[in-house]
Amino acid sequence: MGIVRILWLLGAALLLAACPKPDEIDRPLPPLDREGEKKQSDLPPAIPAKLEVERVAPDADHKPSARSPIVDIMSSEIKRSMDVLSQQPIPVYYLSYQVYDNRRVVIETDGGALLTFTDDTERFLDTEVRVGSAKLDNRHQLSNEQEDAINAPMPRKSIMPFGTDELSIRHHLWLDTDRRYREAALALRRVLVDKSVTAQEDSPPDFAIARAEEYIESPASLDFDEDMWIKRARDCSKRAFRGVATRATCRLDFELRTVYFVNSEGTVLQMVRPSALMSVSVGVKADDGMPLGRVEQRFARTPAGLPDDAELDRIIARVTSDLNALHRAPVVDPYVGPAILEGRAAGVFFHEVFGHRIEGHRQKQRTSGQTFASKVGEEIMPQWLTVYDDPTLLTANGAPLNGFYRFDDEGVRAQRAILVERGVLKGFIMGRNPIAGFSRSNGHGRKEPGRNAVSRQGNLVVSVSRSVQGDELERALIAEVKRQGKPFGMVFSDISGGFTNTSRFLPQAFKVNPVMAYRVYPDGRRELVRGVDIVGTPLTALGSIMLASREVETFNGMCGAESGWVPVSASAPSLLLKSLEVERGFKGVDRPPVLPPPSIEREPNSAQNHDRRGN
Amino acid sequence: MKRIVCITAFAAALAVAAAASARTSPGPMSGPSKAVTSEILDAIALEIERAKSALRIAGALPPYFIGHKLTEVEVSDTVASLGSTTWKKDRHFVTLDARVHVGDYKLDNSNFVIANAERTDGLATLQLPIEATPRIARRVAWLVTDAAYKEALEQIRAKIDTRRAGGTSDPDRPSHTRRAAFVKQEPVEVPALESNDALDRRARAISRVFRGIAHVRDSRVAFTSFLERRWYINSEGTRAHDTRRVSGVIIVATAQADDGQELAVFYSRYGHTAKDLPGDSELLAEARNLAKKLDAIRKAPVVDNYIGPVLFEGGGAVDIVRTTLAPHLGGTPLPEGLSAAEAKQFGGGLSDDTVGLRVLSPLLSVTDDPTSHRSGRRALIGGFQIDDEGVPAQRVEVVRDGFLKTLLIGRTPSKKLRTSNGHARRSAPGGVYRGTATNLFISGKRGLSRKQLVGKLLAEARAQGLPYALIIRRLDDAAMTAAPELSARELLHLYQSTDREAPPIAIEASRVYPDGREELVRGVQLRPVRLREWEDILAVGKKANVFNFLASGQLNIAHKINGVADNGAVPSAGIESAVVTPDLLFRKLQVVRSTAGRRGATAVSRPR
Repeated sequence: MGIVRILWLLGAALLLAACPKPDEIDRPLPPLDREGEKKQSDLPPAIPAKLEVERVAPDADHKPSARSPIVDIMSSEIKRSMDVLSQQPIPVYYLSYQVYDNRRVVIETDGGALLTFTDDTERFLDTEVRVGSAKLDNRHQLSNEQEDAINAPMPRKSIMPFGTDELSIRHHLWLDTDRRYREAALALRRVLVDKSVTAQEDSPPDFAIARAEEYIESPASLDFDEDMWIKRARDCSKRAFRGVATRATCRLDFELRTVYFVNSEGTVLQMVRPSALMSVSVGVKADDGMPLGRVEQRFARTPAGLPDDAELDRIIARVTSDLNALHRAPVVDPYVGPAILEGRAAGVFFHEVFGHRIEGHRQKQRTSGQTFASKVGEEIMPQWLTVYDDPTLLTANGAPLNGFYRFDDEGVRAQRAILVERGVLKGFIMGRNPIAGFSRSNGHGRKEPGRNAVSRQGNLVVSVSRSVQGDELERALIAEVKRQGKPFGMVFSDISGGFTNTSRFLPQAFKVNPVMAYRVYPDGRRELVRGVDIVGTPLTALGSIMLASREVETFNGMCGAESGWVPVSASAPSLLLKSLEVERGFKGVDRPPVLPPPSIEREPNSAQNHDRRGN
Repeated sequence: MKRIVCITAFAAALAVAAAASARTSPGPMSGPSKAVTSEILDAIALEIERAKSALRIAGALPPYFIGHKLTEVEVSDTVASLGSTTWKKDRHFVTLDARVHVGDYKLDNSNFVIANAERTDGLATLQLPIEATPRIARRVAWLVTDAAYKEALEQIRAKIDTRRAGGTSDPDRPSHTRRAAFVKQEPVEVPALESNDALDRRARAISRVFRGIAHVRDSRVAFTSFLERRWYINSEGTRAHDTRRVSGVIIVATAQADDGQELAVFYSRYGHTAKDLPGDSELLAEARNLAKKLDAIRKAPVVDNYIGPVLFEGGGAVDIVRTTLAPHLGGTPLPEGLSAAEAKQFGGGLSDDTVGLRVLSPLLSVTDDPTSHRSGRRALIGGFQIDDEGVPAQRVEVVRDGFLKTLLIGRTPSKKLRTSNGHARRSAPGGVYRGTATNLFISGKRGLSRKQLVGKLLAEARAQGLPYALIIRRLDDAAMTAAPELSARELLHLYQSTDREAPPIAIEASRVYPDGREELVRGVQLRPVRLREWEDILAVGKKANVFNFLASGQLNIAHKINGVADNGAVPSAGIESAVVTPDLLFRKLQVVRSTAGRRGATAVSRPR
């Protein structure tokens, strides 16, 4: 199955697509604009973009005395199981338990009324059992992709009792270990048969050994004033329900996740992740049937860190005025030409176009396009560009980063993974699935509860050593428009998400979905357009980056892939690309409601916001 | 001018029946809804009126019927295992369903499944706020009606085209039944939900029973308490309200036989409130009894293939009614557009062509009575006042002495049954509610004592040349017992090898020998039990077995495949239903030996 990865704003839906068509595609690489071939005067000024980050050592705040009794129960049950299972004819060589304690509060309002209020606490268990050896184990890829999917551990969150009652916790650990051991043993038998009946080349080991870690974080609590936040959300959605919007929701997601991880290598982790998210969303259907929406989200570690009233007012004003403008905006025609991706849009662009292709396990999958597998040491971007992923970054330019974590879901310490250094490909985002030349994890094995971890992005950072001021970037765009003889250039200020295909059965293409896209004419005039998708192929797109801005912006969101949804961020300066292709996006076929809206009480100032409903 | 049917006498009768049947004081009441008030209903009614008069697309059919159903759900669930909570949640939400019919009563869009577009069915659903906000309710009503109308237009186009191409067996049958407006707006008060903390304490205490029992592999105890307030408003002027209230408990335990076969047993009880459920001491005894039963079953031999008489006793009788008779009592025509194989899951074994004919053993009579609240001292949860199309519930005699009198039906008529008898309950592809059993009463003539029944069973076995006979006391219910024991590959094999028409495997069954000795057996898989086998009931028991359950919308195999969800199987999904039946002795059924679910012994010992 080909996998399509998507990055959405937090809370959006998952989409997977299948594409079984075994036919390898070999594509020649496009030429790059090499700096060395340019005159020094053509290069941007040697001033780095402004990026101040706060970094946290994974084991900072280690407090052994805060260790939960659950961790000890998990450790002793692992030992008890390993003593027996490592001696079986099909031996277990690795066993891990991961227990999630999750409290999640959701407050959702619509047009001033409370739609949902939930305050749930859940506890789940994920057990990983590996049998055979690290060289060849039950997770070894089968030659048939569909068979391989069936051979993988069944995605499932297992039951784990609340509290610290030793017997009930031990019992459920034992049950799940037994189930997963059986499953793993069956899978390894299938692997061995597959190896014996198919021609397979030697491949790197199936699992990377990692050092034992110990980190204990103090427990935390999720505190918030329920009545106050419900009132704020209610007021927010009431005020956002204006202009052309037929839907205006404000949603708060408060979460406190405590993760306990223990494995047979001796790693013991207890980690706390608090988060708070505020989403303001408005929508309407355009007259031609195109669904239009604007979402603004703010991420913080705690509810107290979310925007204050003044900032919320600005957010509401922004989404409602953007929606009104989108409603009037013309649908764009296909276009190829110079374009600016503004900060957050550039971050998402890099996440999709580059980040997913640099995930280590994809370089090993037989069905993956492996765009960068053979490019290590080669220049793939301008020399003033460096790209890395660093989950240990807590903030960037003062803003909290959603992809922060201390240890990954495979018990490995989070580390900065240098991906591109001065334009040259250096490495990959690695979990514990080794690939040729990269035998170790750099702490990026990630998953949502119930899934199997693979290498995933955390905090992706695009760092530039040469940059210009934002207004200079737009001037450069206009100059490039004129140079290419184009009628206009494009600026993308917000991208809601996108997907990229890494399966070799389909073109190695990407598509991202800008929400706010503008035509910029040679006279400097901007015109908002809608119904735009950016499409292209990664090597071409990355090779056409011309210039970066001094200002860096951060996108915080959730990324969905085969290991589920994980929190991520992407920070980047605005980028000018020499050529970007734009096509008409999916328009939808539903026409707007037949009847005009019923007489609905609107926000008092709504008339000035193009209210076409009357009262 | 719309006719208004007066509900007063009906409501009064229900109130008297409810009062007479109440064993104890109902305790605190839930009070009126704070989410759906008269202002909300007025706002939605206004929008229906506006849509009925003005909603139309040029050149397309206008809606001739618009029906809205508002459902407010409050539910508290808790699950515990070995003395510790594993799941505990409260939920509160309100939904608005809109059904739009275009065309006319004679031929409309409904009850048709568009190929590859099953969900385009003239039905749309949106969420409403949990606090009364008329302006938002009206906006939601506007959007949901619009969406349902557009689907209805697509549906009727496809229906007409399909009929042209493939014909229809019954072109003169109307699509929908016209009804007079029905108004019943007074609040239906029900007892408040039990505190989830209190249910949780009970679940934890009862689940502790399994702590020291070595042969029990997995176990859980779950409680649920929920209420559903419903309001029905339609363009014919109907405006009706009803509330349903249920509390329940299930206990599940699993084990492994010596040959590796996985085994599961369960106990479940539902009532209107927790007062209808057994007390803690009785539930503790039931939990211990389950453990004991499981131990005996795991030591029991696997049954041999068998063709002969089968006695369904207690829960077994209820289960064979539930799985092989009740699905055939609905009279709603199967949706057009489905293949015969696809339509089978909706029953349809009896058509209105068989009304007046003998369809069951002359010993049997069948009545469905949603107006009934109790059978003896046991609460029945299948009752309601108003069905899902806003029609008052009615007691219906379906079969008398083996002869079919009528079928259970809603507002989608069959060829001969043109009037709803208030049984529209189960939603199905095609966008209509199907006539469905609610509180189903099976009564038998010449009921025998257990001793006489077993004697008759053995005599029949002897007559058929068999050395023993079979008694079945419980069929599996995967909605309760499914467990995450299998790998993806094993589940795939299970899915491919399961006969979907066969009843679930028997989880409690015995061989009975001529000397009266009983021997537990396992692996008892019935082959499909057809309606014709119901004509050959040899005898029935004297005593009525009463059982409440939540009828799942999913097939048993689907529950098996999906396993328990993250929540550990909280029993609050499905249609509230009850079966009251005597024990049933079938002349000849086929049983095959099942060795499914075998796996290796556990290498690591159970923790102590």
